[in-house]
Order: sequence, then C-alpha cells, then structure tokens
Amino acid sequence: MDRRATLSKMLGRKNSDVSAAAAPSALVSGLAPYTGPFGFDQAAHLLRRATFGATYQQMKDVTNMGLDVAMDEIFAAQPMPDPPVNPNFTDDPYTPIGETWVDKAYSPNIAGLAGSRDQSLKSWTLNLIQTEGISIQEKMVLFWHNHFPVADINDTRFVYKYSALLRQFAVGNFKDLTKEIAIDPAMLRYLNGNTNTAASPNENFARELLELFTIGKGPLVGPSDYTNYTEQDVVEMAKVLTGWRDRGFNSSNPAIPVESYFTTARHNQTTKQLSYRFNDIQIPNMGDQEYAHLLDIIFSKDECAKFICRKLYLWFIYYDISQQVEDEVIAPMAQILVDNDYEIRPALEALLRSEHFYDILNVGPMIKNPVDFTMGVFKTFDIDFSQANLEQLYRSLWTTFRGTLTPMQMPYYDPPSVAGWKAYYQEPVFYRHWISSVTLPIRQTYTNRVLVQGFSNAGFTARVDVLKFVATLDTPEIADDLIDELVKILFPQPITQSQHDYLKGILLPGLPDYEWNIEYGDYINNPNDINLANAIKSKLTNLLSAMMSMPEFYLS
Amino acid sequence: MKRRNFIQSAGLSLPLLLNGFKLRAMPKSSIFSAISSENDRVLVLIQLNGGNDGLSMITPLDQYDKLANARGNILIPQGSLLDVGSNQAFHPGLAGIKSVFDEGKMAVVQAVGYPNQNRSHFRSSDIWTSGSPATENWTTGWLGRYFQQGQPDFPIDYPNAEYPDPFALTLGGNVTETCQGTAANFSMAINDPFNLNPLATGGNDVPPSTPYGDELAFLRQSIESTNAYSDGITEAANSATNMATYPDDNNLAQQLKNVALLIAGGLQTKVYVVNLGGFDTHAGQVALDPTLGSYPALMELLSGAVSAFQQDLVLLGIEKRVMTMTFSEFGRRIRSNDSLGTDHGDAAPLMLFGSCVRPGFTGESPEIPDNPEVQEAVAMQYDFRNVYGSILMDWFEVEQADVQNLLFPDFSYIPLVDGCNVSATSQLPVPELAFTPYPNPFSGTVNVSFQSGNEHVRLSLFDGAGQELKVLINKRLDAGEHTIIFDSDGLASGSYYFHLRLENGRQKTKLVVKARG
Repeated sequence: MDRRATLSKMLGRKNSDVSAAAAPSALVSGLAPYTGPFGFDQAAHLLRRATFGATYQQMKDVTNMGLDVAMDEIFAAQPMPDPPVNPNFTDDPYTPIGETWVDKAYSPNIAGLAGSRDQSLKSWTLNLIQTEGISIQEKMVLFWHNHFPVADINDTRFVYKYSALLRQFAVGNFKDLTKEIAIDPAMLRYLNGNTNTAASPNENFARELLELFTIGKGPLVGPSDYTNYTEQDVVEMAKVLTGWRDRGFNSSNPAIPVESYFTTARHNQTTKQLSYRFNDIQIPNMGDQEYAHLLDIIFSKDECAKFICRKLYLWFIYYDISQQVEDEVIAPMAQILVDNDYEIRPALEALLRSEHFYDILNVGPMIKNPVDFTMGVFKTFDIDFSQANLEQLYRSLWTTFRGTLTPMQMPYYDPPSVAGWKAYYQEPVFYRHWISSVTLPIRQTYTNRVLVQGFSNAGFTARVDVLKFVATLDTPEIADDLIDELVKILFPQPITQSQHDYLKGILLPGLPDYEWNIEYGDYINNPNDINLANAIKSKLTNLLSAMMSMPEFYLS
Repeated sequence: MKRRNFIQSAGLSLPLLLNGFKLRAMPKSSIFSAISSENDRVLVLIQLNGGNDGLSMITPLDQYDKLANARGNILIPQGSLLDVGSNQAFHPGLAGIKSVFDEGKMAVVQAVGYPNQNRSHFRSSDIWTSGSPATENWTTGWLGRYFQQGQPDFPIDYPNAEYPDPFALTLGGNVTETCQGTAANFSMAINDPFNLNPLATGGNDVPPSTPYGDELAFLRQSIESTNAYSDGITEAANSATNMATYPDDNNLAQQLKNVALLIAGGLQTKVYVVNLGGFDTHAGQVALDPTLGSYPALMELLSGAVSAFQQDLVLLGIEKRVMTMTFSEFGRRIRSNDSLGTDHGDAAPLMLFGSCVRPGFTGESPEIPDNPEVQEAVAMQYDFRNVYGSILMDWFEVEQADVQNLLFPDFSYIPLVDGCNVSATSQLPVPELAFTPYPNPFSGTVNVSFQSGNEHVRLSLFDGAGQELKVLINKRLDAGEHTIIFDSDGLASGSYYFHLRLENGRQKTKLVVKARG
C-alpha cells in the first residue's frame, strides 16, 4: 500500500492542491524535479524550510509565483547589509552613537564595551533575519556558521568580519568560501591557525578542515587511514597552512585593521607529501598561495561534494539519510555541485525543486531549531519595529536573543564546539537534541510571552499584534475557518478533528460558534471600541498561545 | 505545598481562624505554632460560561409579580419554586443545592457585578478573570497576582521540593485566566488525573506512521515526561477514593469528582477551576413548559454536581478545607425575549458552598421595575472584586492592604466566612487511632505502631515548623496492626510529629528526639 496515499486520506485534507503532493508516483522520491501542482501547502513548506518564516501574504504570493519564479526570488543576490552600529553605549570612545564599530578601534579595558558590541552584533543579526524578505540568505548564513563554527573570540570586530564572509558566500561557491575561511582572522584564532608555524606546527585547523569542513572522516580502514584521508595528510596539510596570522586583535590603534596576513619566515617551505588518499600528490612551497592550492586538491575529491550535500540535506530536509536517499538524492545533488565547480545554488536549488523535497513524507518532520522557532514567530506575525528608534530596536532584539536563543540552547555566535550544534551531526537523535525537560518549558513560555508580554527594552516592546495578524486572514469572522486558516499557516500538516474541536473550545469556551461571528463582527463594526477589540484580542491570544504550544508548531 | 511556607513566601501576614474567631491580633509566634500542614485550604471556582440568568436561578419572591410582567413566558410557576426563606426561591432544578443550603453550608451574594458592566462575553470574562476595572485591560488574573506575590520567579525552577504540585488546576478545559501571572500561568489544565496529557501535548490521537508522526510522537512524549507535575497528580488521584455517588452524564460532576479525589489524595494545589457551559440562553432557555428546557437542564447539572461534591467532601473528612464559588461573566436581561430566551445583562447572584461559609443571603432582592426597558438588567449591589478580596482575606488569610494592591484601593470587606459548621458525619468515621511511638523521647530508633483497615495509609514525619520531612508509608495496607521502626539518624534534637492519615481520619503524635550522646 502506498503510505503517502493512505496518509493523505487519513489527514482528510480539504485543499485539492494537497492530494497531488500526497500521492507522488514513486515509492521513494529522488532529486528529479517536482512536477505536481504547486499550491499553498507546497509554497508554505518551501518557505518554512528555505527561509526563517513568512507572513500569510508571502505564502500566498509564492503560491501565485509558482516554483520557477519563487526560486529566483529565494536565490536572488542580496546586497551586503549596512554593518551593526553602536545603538546606545556612550562609553565607547571610538564609536559615536549611531555609527558602526566594526572598523573602529577596540580596547578590552573599557568596561562594558565588549558586551555592548557583542550585543550589537547579535541584535543586528536578528534584525537581518527579521527584515529579510523571501530569501534563503540568512538561513544559509546560519548554515555556514554551523558548518564553519567560530566562538569565544573576544573582539567582536573579528566575529563581524567572519559573519560578513559567510553572508558574502551564503549561496556562493563552497570551495571559494572554504579558501576564505582558511585564512579568516577569527578562524585563525579559533582553531589556532595563527600559531601554526614551520618551527611549531599546530594541526588543529588542518584536522578539522578535513574531518568537519570539507571531505569528512570515513571509517577507519587501516592504521591512521580514515578512508578519505590519513593522519599523514593532517600532518602535511598543517605544514601547508603555516605562516598565517591575524592582527588587530584587541587593538586600540585605529591604524591596525582586523585582518590576516602571511609571514614567509613562519611558513614551512619544504615540499609536502600527501597520502595515497590524495594520489600521493606533492605540494611544493608556494608561499601565500599554497593554502589555496591545497584546497583545490581537497576539492578535487568528489567526496567533498557528497559531504556538504549531506549537511545541506540535514539542514533543509531531514536527518534520516538512508541508502536510498544517499543514492537518489545525495549522489545526484553532489554531481550537480561538482559539475558547477562547487557553486552552491544549482545543487541546492535542485534539492528545493525536487520531488523528494515536496514528498509528503518530508513535510513536517523537522524540529525547528531555536533560531527558526523564535524568529519564525517574529516573521510569520510580522512583528512591527517601525516605531522603534535605534536603541529600542537593538535593545528589544537583545532581550529577545537573551530570553530565547540562549536558554533554548542555540546562542548565535556561540556554538558548543567546532562540530557545530549537535542537532546537525549527533546520531541517532539529531534534531531531537533541541528538546529536553529544560528547553521544552522555555519553548512553551516563549510562545505565551511573545503574544502577551513581549520582549521589552528601552521603552519598546516587540510583541505580536494579534488583531493585525488576524485581519490578514480571509475569513477571521467564522470560527471554524479561522482555525483552519491558522493551521495552514502555523502547522506543517493538518490536525485532527478532535484537535480542531479542542482549539475551538479555547476560542469559545462553552459558547456556540455564532457568538464568535457576533463578537468579531461587533469589533469590525466598531474598530475604535477598545473594549471590543481587547475582548477579541484576548480570545485570539488564547487560541494562538494554545496552537503555538502544540508540538505541531515545533515542527517544520 | 506546605501551608506555612506558602504563606510566608507570599510575603503576607498570617491571620488565622480558630474556632471561627479571627486571631490577627495574636503574636506571630503563636500563630506559627497553631499552623499545621493539615489546614491547607482550597478554593474551587465553578465558571458558568455564557452569562447566567440569575433571576431564573434564584428568584426573588417579593418581585415575583413584576417578573411575571417582564418575563412571563419563561418564569417558573411560583408553586414550583423552592422557597428558601428571605423572600428567595431556588430554581426547581436546584433541589440538591437546596439541601446544602438547608444544612447551613451555602451562601448567596446577591447581584454581583461591576460598574460600567460590559455585555461582551469575552471582554466581561476578561474582567471577571483578571479582576480589573471595566475601564482597564489587565493581562494578569486575580489569583495569578496573588500567587505571583510570593513566587516572583515562577515558572523558573518549578516544580520543586517546596512546591511539588501545581498552584492551580483546571479540570476539563484550558488553563484559567484567573491564574495568569506576569511570566506564566500558574494553573495547569488536565482532563483526566489518571491519564494526564491531552492538553499539554495538544492532542492524543495516534500520530500517522510517517517521519512527521514519529517526531510528533516524540515531542508529545517529551512534553508528557517533562510535565513533572503529572506524577504527583496521578499519585494523589490514586491515593483516595470518592465516597459519594456522582451523577453520570454530568461533565461538571465528573470534574468535581476528580477535584475531591485530588484534594483528599493530598495534592497541595490551592485553586481548582471547573466549567459548565451553555448559559448563553438567547433562545429556548425554557420549553413551553418553563420548568423544562435548556436552563432547567443546566440547573440540574449544576445542582447534581455540587451536592454530590459537597457530600463527598463531608464523607472524605475534608469539608472544612474546601470552599466553592460560582461565577459567570454577566447576568441576563430582566425582560425575556420572544424566543423564550434572555439576552446579555448585568449583575447576577453568586453562590458559595462549604462548611465554613457564612450561610444565607448577603444583599437584598434585586429590584425589578414595574415596566423594565428592553435593555434593562439587574443592578449591581456588590462589586465582584469585594467578593474576591474577602475570599482572599478570609480563606487565604491575605492582609487587607495586600488585597487592595491585588484588586483595587476601594476594596471593602464582605464577611463571607464564618465558623466552620462541620457535619457530624465527617467526625463520626474518625476512628480512635491506636498510634504509639515508643520510646518517646528517644534517640536512635523508635517503634511506631498503629492500626488500619484495608485502606490507603500515609505516614509522614514533620518538624516543629510544619515541614514535612519524610514520607514513611504511602500505600494501601491490609487491615490490622502495623509497626514500623524509624531511625532518627540525621535528625537534630527537637520536637517532631508523626502524621498518620487513614481514609477516614488523621492523627498526629508528637515525638521528641534527643541528641545522641
């Protein structure tokens, strides 16, 4: 029996556009282009996965665009954003309020300066997510941050520079990005590349470059032989990478910018001998071009393409990479990547266009990570910052960051290890790492808070405007339709009748359905009656709070 | 929760009722010594959703002619009404409640409402649950603010050893807005205390056998196991047995049945909220025969549930600990409409049940005009916030100044609680417990002997400050004499108490531990 056809029957979907998605032709779908109808549910699925969230209107817009136009929109090149600024810290001697600090001097000895800049960067990042349109950009930036992690760099200018690099290459060339990362000042500090010298090699970065960043560690098949590389390669590649340093760290001298530089005297100028895993290639001394040559050699191995495609799959589809997925999705996707010399877009676009992506079995099983969960609410409900001044914008977003991402255990710019967050590598539970008795109550508290209290700082509160949101619905005045529409927007799959009834009981405790129609109608006819509005708002808040506390809302 | 800790950490002073007399003037130390964990008081709220037609529930006989004029098509014939004196009569469906009234365990506060009555269901419910003025929107609930005073960090680090159980429980609904605090709601919603999960997990239908269904099942399971309150609730439900018979096909009765079970089972929850919907009786409030129809059915549900509950509390020996109050978002119009119904109105009577309430009527008969306007409804006599505040003072022993902070500065006290009028039946079943620790005082070990029937037994050790230190037995035992040997190792010198609780009685025995030489 076709599990998906049965499923679609069980789900009892009303929308005609769903049944096609629920009944694909093959038992296990592959990377072949999706040719079924592209309706609201497909558009919503695409936006949930490829972006940090979308409004109802954006979901409808993408439905109307169709898949081709939607892809152009999602992958459209984004201009580099203006850098973060100093929103309110008066003790920064180098940066007036309202100006950026990323190119200014820094001193760790000024009380509060480190925290101010750190918070500025984090608030700015959330604001980029919040203000982003229909784009995959910021989701890919976080992907790369998880892939090439950097943490504990106590000069935020370094972190900004690193983050700007990720943004520049968000859907660019994987190989080129890796070349830049290899000599990025923050990465040089994080993995000790800046102390890797001819006299005293440090293999930290070389090892992670192979194991975590490019080709991946395969099974141990012989002494020091990890299938894709050997210990000899780690040693020899560390030599290749010697000589690079960073400067400007904690420097209050404005003449010294944050940058990396090459020192020939620290570089190992011998010829490096790679293992048979790299065809016994020898790398002569090439000075400051040697690292790039090394990366060309590593990337000549197609396993690099498979390795990053699996991580993209984990990020955008699901964590269960079966042999079937390996053969039907990962392998052809990796081939596209190789054919395009590691340009990310063609391969990623093929994935997001594939029948596999729209397979009903892949709709909904991803537990949202905390950034997705938190900012998804901000974006779906289009939380309004237009009335916030600079200080209020940064500070209220900082309150959000501190109140959500940190306790939910995904603080941006502070991944737990060089492998990134466990949800994207730790078998067998993967995404389920986000869920614990510690984080679950925080998720439930968050959904109530963003609806009721909001996130306040400096006299501004970031909060869902429930009435404004509901006004964007097609039939908010009919209780059943209201719930159906909210389910379409908020949940990846339909709910059961008993859940629907449960939600209606929350909207209308002990009352007949038509009372909603009457009360909502009264409110619409008397929009200036604050009491009517608040009464409606309170019921809608209860409903939304209940929906957003449901595990269905944790899923994408 | 330990009553003493609860009140202390709430930052409130501790007026006590002892034999019905207020003891606020007593020095604190003697008040403390009078506290035991057994006088935990519980408030049960019955929310009547939809706007209850108070004139049909409690009909003022001295206004009957005017009511006949204004709402003749729905008015119960005078001969069918249940006369309870004071010119008041109960709806004929309230026979069970009338017997509670006749026992002196029920109070009625007439015409409760608020100035500038709002006739929107939602808005008026918000006012009643938040305790706000009609002119202001408050996002916290009146009980939530009360809880919040002592628990500023809730819900971080709850439950904990000191507060192992939910502060409030809603049966068969969603969390109650009355308990909304500033950061979280203090109430937890449950349907079936023996099978906790549906509300927290958003449903318990079998998830589809797909990756989505797998993750959904995982999340639901995580939510369930995370819900650390659940075990205590189920344990409490399993620790007691209802003694009264509750009517079937009566959802309110089933809710209250579980409330009685949880209180008797030792759950340390302070507030329970149950719901009865269907009071929005715009049409068909009664049939052509006004003693039949939807409203009479509601009265029977209410009466059957409340009277069984009260009887159960008596039989369980916990009636002194429990007070129950009804409320609804508004009353209805004086004039009925042509659809045998009534439209949204203003004030309505509010009922209180329990052996400690000051029985009888507070307030006058609502005054019915000779020819009421279509829009006219019962005028307010008592602000609902004065009822709330008086309950907080008399039942939870909150200081008046704190009540003014929690509700409104113009708060004025209404005496609602009186000396507890305990039924003889609740005293008779208490057996003489042969409960002897020996030797006493002691150091080292002590033998504790007692007799029980085949019943649930809970034996625990308290310190002199009323803290439960250890539960020694908490299970069903066979009938007979039991002895346990208790080792005082680790206890400091001082006075301790063994508390023995059987299904029909309690016993407390002081024990003095001497320091080991």
